[in-house]
Amino acid sequence: MIMNTTIKEIDGKYVATLKGEMDTAAAVEAEEVLKPLYQSNGKDVIIDCTELEYIASSGLRILLGILKGAKASGSKVVMKGVNDDIKNVFKLTGFISLFEFE
Amino acid sequence: MKLKTNTSLTIIIAAAVLLEIISAVQYYYTRSLLAEELEHRAESELTMKAIIVKNSLNMSEISLRGHIRDLKRNLSYPDSLFGTTEWVLHTHPNLVGCGVAFVPHFFPEKGRLFEPYAYRENNKVKSIQAAGEKHDYTKSGFYKEGIAADGPIWTAPYVDDIFKIPMVSYTLPVWDKNHETIAVFALDIPIRILGDTLNYRHMYPSSYDILLTADGEYIAGPREDHVSRKDVEHIISIINDSTVAKSPSMSGRSQVATFNDRGGRGKGSVFFANFKGQPRWQIAVVCYDDEVYGKLRAMRRNIGLLMLVGLVILSLIVLRFARNDRRLQAANLMQERNDSELRIASNIQKEMLPKQSPTGCSDVDIHGLLIPARAVGGDIFDYFIRDEKLFFCIGDVSGKGVPSAMVMAVIHSLFRMATAHENNPARIMQTVNETSCDGNESNMFVTLFIGVLDLPTGRLRYCNAGHDRPVIVGAEALPAEANLPVAVFADFAYEMQETVLADGSTLFLYTDGLTEAKNRERQMFGVERVMDVLNGSVNLTPAQLLEKMVGEVHAFVEDAEQSDDLTMLAIRYTPRQFESKLTETLVLKNDVREITRFSSFMKSVTEQLGIEKSLARQLRLAAEEAVVNVIDYAYPTGTEGDVTIHILSDGHTIRFQIIDTGVAFDPTAKEKADTTLSAEDRQIGGLGILLVRELMDTINYERVDGQNVLTLIKNV
Repeated sequence: MIMNTTIKEIDGKYVATLKGEMDTAAAVEAEEVLKPLYQSNGKDVIIDCTELEYIASSGLRILLGILKGAKASGSKVVMKGVNDDIKNVFKLTGFISLFEFE
Repeated sequence: MKLKTNTSLTIIIAAAVLLEIISAVQYYYTRSLLAEELEHRAESELTMKAIIVKNSLNMSEISLRGHIRDLKRNLSYPDSLFGTTEWVLHTHPNLVGCGVAFVPHFFPEKGRLFEPYAYRENNKVKSIQAAGEKHDYTKSGFYKEGIAADGPIWTAPYVDDIFKIPMVSYTLPVWDKNHETIAVFALDIPIRILGDTLNYRHMYPSSYDILLTADGEYIAGPREDHVSRKDVEHIISIINDSTVAKSPSMSGRSQVATFNDRGGRGKGSVFFANFKGQPRWQIAVVCYDDEVYGKLRAMRRNIGLLMLVGLVILSLIVLRFARNDRRLQAANLMQERNDSELRIASNIQKEMLPKQSPTGCSDVDIHGLLIPARAVGGDIFDYFIRDEKLFFCIGDVSGKGVPSAMVMAVIHSLFRMATAHENNPARIMQTVNETSCDGNESNMFVTLFIGVLDLPTGRLRYCNAGHDRPVIVGAEALPAEANLPVAVFADFAYEMQETVLADGSTLFLYTDGLTEAKNRERQMFGVERVMDVLNGSVNLTPAQLLEKMVGEVHAFVEDAEQSDDLTMLAIRYTPRQFESKLTETLVLKNDVREITRFSSFMKSVTEQLGIEKSLARQLRLAAEEAVVNVIDYAYPTGTEGDVTIHILSDGHTIRFQIIDTGVAFDPTAKEKADTTLSAEDRQIGGLGILLVRELMDTINYERVDGQNVLTLIKNV
């Protein structure tokens, strides 16, 4: 297991913590954990990437799925602690303009 | 335009003024000549008429003088004098009467007055004793003047109291031996006869002559049916009126006065002169300007009309010229505009051509050349490198000039569009063909050769559409099927052919402008000459080769006009040598869970190569996305298959080769995902290949021997 994914609800917000390297194989398992966030029901979602080192496009797809769900219910998704390499991937894919960063 | 109209108007007005001046000058010059001529004629008329009148008078004078001796001889027999007077009358038909008026009481037996007088009645001459109670001749003018005169005289005109007609008389005094006047011998001439003699002929139809006494008293003139007496009196009053200006003629023999006719005949002139010698009469001739200058006026009118016609014609010519000039200017302007547009079009066309060898690529050396026969041409060549593949084409649009150039531009963009996501030259050709067939109303067609050279392997795939077969320098022409030219049949199925270019070999492409370049003798440069040049140029670079070919062509055609666009493209294939220092291989099953193994593999390789963390993550991400792509799509669902990953490096570059035996699938031919869309519109797919393209320097796909070979290269 090169990746660890958790979700918590703090102060009416979902907080998803991604740790390790989210390659395509890891993304399959992480999606199982993150699926509930596809319906955030109006609650804001904070995705904590402080300890996330790597993400492949399948990981981006999960984030996009969460974002679409949140936008549909009027809440927002905030990316937290994204490292430069991952930010670069967001840039290359145009995702940087879709998400909010902290 | 305004200026032009003014210039035309000025020319026409100037011409009109000039014509009018010429006409006026000529008129006044001719008029003064005519005036001079009139004076001459009038003077001749006066002289001639004077002579005629005097002649007529002379004959009367001679008649009378001839009988004076008879008269004197017969004085003793007064009654015989009747015969004498009758004789005188017989001598001249113009005479109406002839008589001898004796001084009172000369013949006592005849009473106080005695005047034997002969006259005509019904063409018979009769004579009477004219003196009586009613006719006291001593009170008559002729007697008084005649008796008082020292010799023969012509009396002033008077109305005779026998015939009651105006007449003049010629009188001779009759003297006795003592020189005492005893009688006046006289003959009478009716003024009418003098007038007729004078006016038997006229200078001009309306002109007439008048006789006057020295005192300006009317003697004779034209008949009243010719000129009314009132008009004649008017002329006489002018002659007699000292306040009317009279000018002497140039010869000084006559005087002239001008007048305005009261009878409506306009202006006129009267010339008058004195008789030379006896009788001391004046003679005048009257003529009217209408008749003197009438023809001149008519001439002037006609010339004026002619000038007007000429002026109208001149105006038309000038206006036509002005219009032509304007048209010419407009045409020039249009031509200039066309020229400048053509220049711009020519520049645009040049801009379309690739400038130089693709930068940053040492695998090929390319040089192209297009020399249009006109400002713009219908030939095309293009090349560019995408994903380690050289796409190139050369073509020739039927025809020349602007229409061909426009088609060429269309073909050029179609080529660029069709090659954006397609590596198969036959399919590229098909796309170009289908699109260019659409709405090709002008029935222009294009011969086109499209090649795709895979740079890592040297594999050349090509498709020919009726173009001249390219030549491998120093060897043979490519065995290219002719097929149909582009833009003829939309559904024509183009076939791809392929070959492998050897290292260092050069492919030479050209249009028929090369082989059909003609010299003055209409001979063509020909394929053989082309082959000769190529065979002697094996070691030349493309630029050198084209320079040499152009030189040969110019030497051949000399100064003959270039009749067709001349286009050449030379491609020298010089692949980089790659000596791998590191080769690692990993074989995965087509299952995403295998990615975990791939991740470990990548980490160990990048560590071996000493690649820093950030770059290592980039390489890993790119390779992972490419591998996942193969896992997801290469094999039909449910079938197992392998994905082989080779990693090679010479220290400067890292190459990934991802090989599978699944269905042919070219990820480089996929359209790039749009990264500017909103979250709602973003699609899930396409992200992987986008990342591969963004993270790697080059990406190259080849289908080789039933395998999909994807090569990713990164310079480190």
